[in-house]
Amino acid sequence: MPEIFIDGERYEFEGKPKLLQFILDNGKEVPFFCYHPEMSAPANCRQCYVKVGTPVQNRETGEYELDENGERVIRWFPKMQTSCSMEMTDGMVVHTQETSEEVARAQKDTMELILINHPLDCPICDQAGECPLQIQTYKYGPEGSRFEVKKVHKPKRVELGPRVTLDAERCINCTRCVRFTEEISGTHQLTISSRGDKNYPITAPGMEFDDPYSLNTVDICPVGALTSTDFRFKARVWEMNQTPSIDITGGKGTNVDLWTRDNLVLRLTPRYNKNVNTHWMPDEARQAYRKFNENRISRPSIKADGDNQIKTSWNNAIETFAEKLESVKPADVMVLGSAHASVEENYSLMKLFSTWGVNDFHFSPDVKDGFGDNFLLTDDQAPNTNGVKALGFNEISTDDLKTAIKSAKVIVLLNDELVDRGVLGSEDLEKPFVISLATNETETSKSTDLVIPITCIAEHAASYVNVEGRIQRSLPAKETKYTHRKMDLEMSEGRLDRYGTNFDNWVNEDNKIDCTPTWELMNNLAKRLGLSVQFGSSREIMDEIASSVSTFEGVSFERMDDENGIQLTGITKEEVSA
Amino acid sequence: MANNYEFTPEDLKEIETIKAKFPEVMPATLPTLWVAQRRFGHVEPEVQHLVAETLGLPVSHVHGVATFYTQYYKEKMGKYVLDVCTTTSCQLCGGYDMLHYLENKLGIKAGETTKDGMFSIQSVECLGACGYAPMMQITNDVYVNNLTEEKLDEVIESLKADKMPEFESVGMPQHTERS
Ligand code: SF4
Ligand code: SF4
Ligand code: FES
Ligand code: FES
Repeated sequence: MPEIFIDGERYEFEGKPKLLQFILDNGKEVPFFCYHPEMSAPANCRQCYVKVGTPVQNRETGEYELDENGERVIRWFPKMQTSCSMEMTDGMVVHTQETSEEVARAQKDTMELILINHPLDCPICDQAGECPLQIQTYKYGPEGSRFEVKKVHKPKRVELGPRVTLDAERCINCTRCVRFTEEISGTHQLTISSRGDKNYPITAPGMEFDDPYSLNTVDICPVGALTSTDFRFKARVWEMNQTPSIDITGGKGTNVDLWTRDNLVLRLTPRYNKNVNTHWMPDEARQAYRKFNENRISRPSIKADGDNQIKTSWNNAIETFAEKLESVKPADVMVLGSAHASVEENYSLMKLFSTWGVNDFHFSPDVKDGFGDNFLLTDDQAPNTNGVKALGFNEISTDDLKTAIKSAKVIVLLNDELVDRGVLGSEDLEKPFVISLATNETETSKSTDLVIPITCIAEHAASYVNVEGRIQRSLPAKETKYTHRKMDLEMSEGRLDRYGTNFDNWVNEDNKIDCTPTWELMNNLAKRLGLSVQFGSSREIMDEIASSVSTFEGVSFERMDDENGIQLTGITKEEVSA
Repeated sequence: MANNYEFTPEDLKEIETIKAKFPEVMPATLPTLWVAQRRFGHVEPEVQHLVAETLGLPVSHVHGVATFYTQYYKEKMGKYVLDVCTTTSCQLCGGYDMLHYLENKLGIKAGETTKDGMFSIQSVECLGACGYAPMMQITNDVYVNNLTEEKLDEVIESLKADKMPEFESVGMPQHTERS
C-alpha cells in the first residue's frame, strides 16, 4: 500500500487523497481557510502551506536512491505547497508547522498578509468565538503587524439578499460563498467583484441573493463577513448552549443544532451527517426557532362560553379529558396521530387508547406535491410520516377525515395543524368535543375545546423517521417548567449552566413553558382512567417499541447516537409518496 | 432585466466566431466584453446582462470578470479615458503629481468625467511600462510615456482637437547601446 511520511510519522493511504484532508482525517492540524471538503479546492488563501518532497527514484530500476546513511534521497519542491490541493503520492515526505520552522514562518507571514486590511472587529463581530480566522491567528499568527498604514475600508452592511448581510471589510476572499452557489446550490448568484484590496463577494447588479440555501454561506464563511440578517447581533456564541436535534419542517430529517440561551432557541445550524444532509440545511428550516419560542401554549386551556378559551389547571384538564372519554364509547372516539409528532408521542397515544378500547388510528399526511427539490427540501412537510405509519396509524384522506369526524363524538388530536394547513375548516370541529395536544397556538388549537400543551422537539428526547426510513432522535435543548438541566440526564449542560450564577442575566427562569411530554400526559390519564398503562422516559419507550413493533427492531437511543441515526429496513422511499 | 442594449447581427456573428475558438463558453467572456465595449463604449450593468444572456452564462460571472479589469468601463465614460499609472515605479517618478496635475487641469477627480463628456480620469495599477515612468494610457490604446506637465498640456490640447497622440517607440536601454 502507498505510504506517506508526515512530520516523521508513517501513514498508509489508498486512492489519491489530497494532503490537507488526509492530515485532518488523521487527527492532525494545518491551518486553512478556503478549503471545504464538499467543494473544489482553488487554493487561494495560501494558509495551508506545508513543505513537501518526493523520494528520488532510479529511472531504470525504479529503486529509491539512498544517501550515504542509507536514507532515501528526497527532492523537495522548490516552494511551499498548499496542502489542500496537493495530491498525495507514494513515498511523499511532508513537514507541517509542527516540525518545520520554515513552514510555521510561512503560515505566520500569510496570516499577516490576510490581516493587513482586516478590521479589529472581534468585540462586535458575530463570528467571534467560532471564527477560524480568530482561532488560527491566535494559534499560528503573528503577534503584531508590520503594516501600520491606514486600512482599506469597505461597506459594512450590504444586504446581499433577504437573509444574508455582508460586512465586506471582514471578507478574506476565500470564495467559499461563491463556490457554494456554483457547486452546491447551483444558483450562481454570487461572484467576487473587483480585485486586489478592493474585492468582496456581491451579486450581479440588480440581482438578489435569494438562494433557498443562502444561509449556508454564513456557516461556511470563515470570518464574520457573511452574517444572518435574522440572527445578527442577537447573541454571543459563548452565551449559548448547542444541542443536537433534527429539522422538523420537512421530511428529510436534516441534522441540526439548536442554539439556546435563557430557554429560547436563538438559531439553528446544520449538523454534519454524511448520510442525510452532509453540511447543509435549507434556509426555511432555520425559521423553526420561532416555533419553539413564539405563540407557545403554556398551561392547559378549555373552551368556556362561546369561543372563549380560558386557562385551567392540569388537574382540571385531565379530569375533563377523562370525563369526556367516560361519557362515550371507544367507538365514538377518533384518535388522530401526527406525522408532525415523534414516534414516542404517537406510540404512547396509541397504546393508551388501544388499551382503553379504540381500534382505529389515523393520521393525515402533510404532503405538498412539487415542493421537493431533490436536495434537502421534500414534498413531505412533516418529519415523521414514516414513523407514524410504521406504528400502525393509517393514512386518511381529507374527504374521509371530514366524513369520519361527523360521526365522532370526541376527537383526540395529536399536534397537527389541520385547520391551518387547510385540511379541515374550523366548522368541521364544531360538533364533536375536540381535545388537542399541541405545542403552539394556532387556528387549529383555537378551534378545539380542550387544549393541552405538550413539549416540542426542543424540549424532549424523541425519535423521527425521515422520508428515506432513517430514524434519528432529538435531545432536549431548553427547560420546561418541570425540567431542569442538571436533573435531566438527556440534557447537556452548557458553559452557562456550569459557570453562570443567578446574578448573571443569562441564567434566569424566564421562557419556561408550562407543558408536558405526551407520554407523561398519557401516564396521568391512564392513572385517572384506571388503566395499567405506564411509560418511563422516552428512552425506555423506544426500547419498548423496539421489542413490540417489528419495523423498529433493534432500535435504541444508544444505537441512534452511536450510528448517527439508523436506516430502518422495511421502509422504502416509494412508500412515502402518499 | 429589461434591456435597452442589443448586439447587431455582425456583433453576434463575431461572438459566434469567438465562441468557436474555445472548447467551452466561459473563456469567451473577455473577448465578448470587448465586443460589447466597442459597440456601446462601456459595459455598464445592462450591458453585462446582455453579454451574459448572449453567452448563456450567469450574470454574476460576467459581472465578476468585468469588475476585475479597469480596462472595462462599468459606466459611461468620457470620449478619452486617461489611465494614469500610480503603481510603485510611476509613483516614485511622480505618478501622483501627474494625476493631480490632470485633475486640477480638467477640474475633475480620478473616477470622474468632465461635464462635456470629453475626458475621464482613472488612477490605475501598473501597465507594464515601468521603464518609462511616469506614464499613462489613453482609452485602452496609446501609451504616453515619461510624463511631464508640459507633455500633459500638449496631449490634452491634441485630444481636444480629436487627435490621438502618436505611438512613441521607446527603445530599451540595451537597444540604445547597441545602435
Ligand atoms: S471575522 Fe473573526 S477575526 Fe475578524 S473581526 Fe470577526 S471574529 Fe474577529
Ligand atoms: S464572504 Fe466569507 S465566504 Fe465569502 S469570500 Fe469572503 S470570507 Fe470567503
Ligand atoms: S486552504 Fe489551501 S490554499 Fe486555502
Ligand atoms: S508602475 Fe507604472 S507602468 Fe509599471
